Amino acid sequence: MTRLVSGLCLMLFLACVLSLHAGLTVFDPVTVVSALAGGEGTDALIVTTLRLPRTLIGLCTGAALGLSGLLMQSVTRNPLAEPGLLGVNAGAALFVTLGATVLGFSGLAGIGTAAMLGALFTTALVFLLSVSAGGADNPATTLLAGVTVAALFASFTQTLLLIDETALETLLFWLSGSFADRPLNLLVLGLPLLVAGCAGSFFFASSLDALRLDDASARTVGVNVMLVRIAALAFAALLAAGAVAMAGPVLFLGLAAPHLARRLMGDTLPSTRALIVLSMLTGALIAVIADILARIIVAPGEAPISAVLALVGVPLLVHLLRRRKAVSV
Amino acid sequence: MTPAVPSAVRLAPVLGLLVLATIAAIGIGSSFMPPERVVSALMGQGVRMDEVIVWKLRLPRVILAVLAGAALALAGALLQRVVRNPMASPSVLGISDGAAVGILLFLWLFSDEGNNLTVSVHWQPLAAILGASIFGGLVMLLALADRGGNRSLKIILYGIALAALAKAVVTLLIILGPVYRASQALTWLTGSVGAAHWDDVLTMALGLAIAAPFLASQRLVLRQLVLDPESAATTGVPLERAQFILLATAVALTALATAHVGAIGFVGLVAPHIARVVHGQFRSFYLLSTALTGSLIVLSADLLARTIAPPLELPTGALTALVGAPLFLYLLIKGRRYHA
Repeated sequence: MTRLVSGLCLMLFLACVLSLHAGLTVFDPVTVVSALAGGEGTDALIVTTLRLPRTLIGLCTGAALGLSGLLMQSVTRNPLAEPGLLGVNAGAALFVTLGATVLGFSGLAGIGTAAMLGALFTTALVFLLSVSAGGADNPATTLLAGVTVAALFASFTQTLLLIDETALETLLFWLSGSFADRPLNLLVLGLPLLVAGCAGSFFFASSLDALRLDDASARTVGVNVMLVRIAALAFAALLAAGAVAMAGPVLFLGLAAPHLARRLMGDTLPSTRALIVLSMLTGALIAVIADILARIIVAPGEAPISAVLALVGVPLLVHLLRRRKAVSV
Repeated sequence: MTPAVPSAVRLAPVLGLLVLATIAAIGIGSSFMPPERVVSALMGQGVRMDEVIVWKLRLPRVILAVLAGAALALAGALLQRVVRNPMASPSVLGISDGAAVGILLFLWLFSDEGNNLTVSVHWQPLAAILGASIFGGLVMLLALADRGGNRSLKIILYGIALAALAKAVVTLLIILGPVYRASQALTWLTGSVGAAHWDDVLTMALGLAIAAPFLASQRLVLRQLVLDPESAATTGVPLERAQFILLATAVALTALATAHVGAIGFVGLVAPHIARVVHGQFRSFYLLSTALTGSLIVLSADLLARTIAPPLELPTGALTALVGAPLFLYLLIKGRRYHA
């Protein structure tokens, strides 16, 4: 476990260093270090205002989505659960689209805030619906309510964008999700949520361990199932809201990172604490690597991050699935 | 839900709604036609103009929507049973995305410099079916080759992995391919019944006509699949073979529908759940109820797509959730004690 974590940390560090160097123009270490130390010139500007922000935002978004996905999957016991099923992405997209078509704003800080508000509003709506459907203690009802609200909001967004083509053009770059060209101050929105989500997950980790089997067994060891479930879903929503505020809707990562983390442990059944660390590291690592590839594969253009994430994550997932025996969710 | 009401009677509301929606969908369009003219045109006693509009333009579209909705809903119901997961649907397990890859490759490979297709567009459905079968087949092969552990979980995990891969390929093809094809591909990806033709209707009907008796013969197996694997095996179901056959049927149904109307989403997910709440999942006619619900959703979505922003016609797939989601949420809240 310690070896695995330190290995992942090392790989993450290397990936971040590589991310500062690689791109349309590849810099040598001297340029990068002097840029970070406060150097001047075009190269330094590229490193500090373009590559550093996207690396940090990729790192935080990846970690947040990985953890959010883990919380979703453990608390619903459903391997298909992912942050998008709480309506975070759809809600964020709808609020951003409404903001752009009705209120007419276009700055990234405004978009980020609208995205976060939309994500939180939608999750609250999903909770409300699943409670009024009498399903607060039935995770499947929450997921169904979530996916339905998400589909409904996505349909609103799509209709709005089909009718207003100029909005589509200005928002397309945001709607496809990316770590590129994001100002560093978006971290102000995302980082506190990441820290809060992280702290909350560790706080509830032992209760989540108990929830693995079934609700009845968890109750017999004294876990308040309802409380843990709602708290964990709320933290998952906060984490995903932070991620969508920073990077826009990023798909696949929240779904795949926890599965990857589980398979990395092989045949041993890891504790939730270990999984929290591993999911965040895996999420961050894949995000940073995918971001590097996104600059390269369709250069000089920029490939959509969700597509690249899948290209990186899928072979890895299939490989790990085939290497090990099944570990239950 | 009183069990005293016979199953067939419980079908009446959705059947009635479907008939109403059909008449509305034939009557409403760029030129409005009151119901009595619709009926007389259908009977062959209308004005010549009405008959042309009804028989040539609107009827194929309406029937295609009905058939495609039914096929997608059935595929969703099968998948949810086979992988024992209420969140399963054709778009989660990589089948619709596989079809999309097929279509995009077809558009890309067979376009000349002037953006004209070098082969007949009638081959397009075949490309979709090929794509869906390849991706669906890969999911099954990977799951079959993997001996250890929980089979349903394996199908899901390989499914989401290949779905993500197919989505990524689609995105990259759209970026790298010719721009003109990109917009065409996007409309197709959202799904639309706008280009319906009697040929499409015929193929779809044929496919469903083959699938329906087969599914009717499998209804007992489908019920037993709800049990956990051990209990299902003790009831005498050859579990692995049943899963394989039903999965293959779901792939075929999705491929067929997607080939003709594009990747219309959400129906496959929600129609089985609506049917479950309204009808009960262990009653006879559950599959029929699912199919009718799917038809109703796609048909109403298409009706909205034509009328919501005239003269602009929206893709049907953009509106399935607009119709299906409020209905399902209402049922979910009204049903209260509903267990997925």
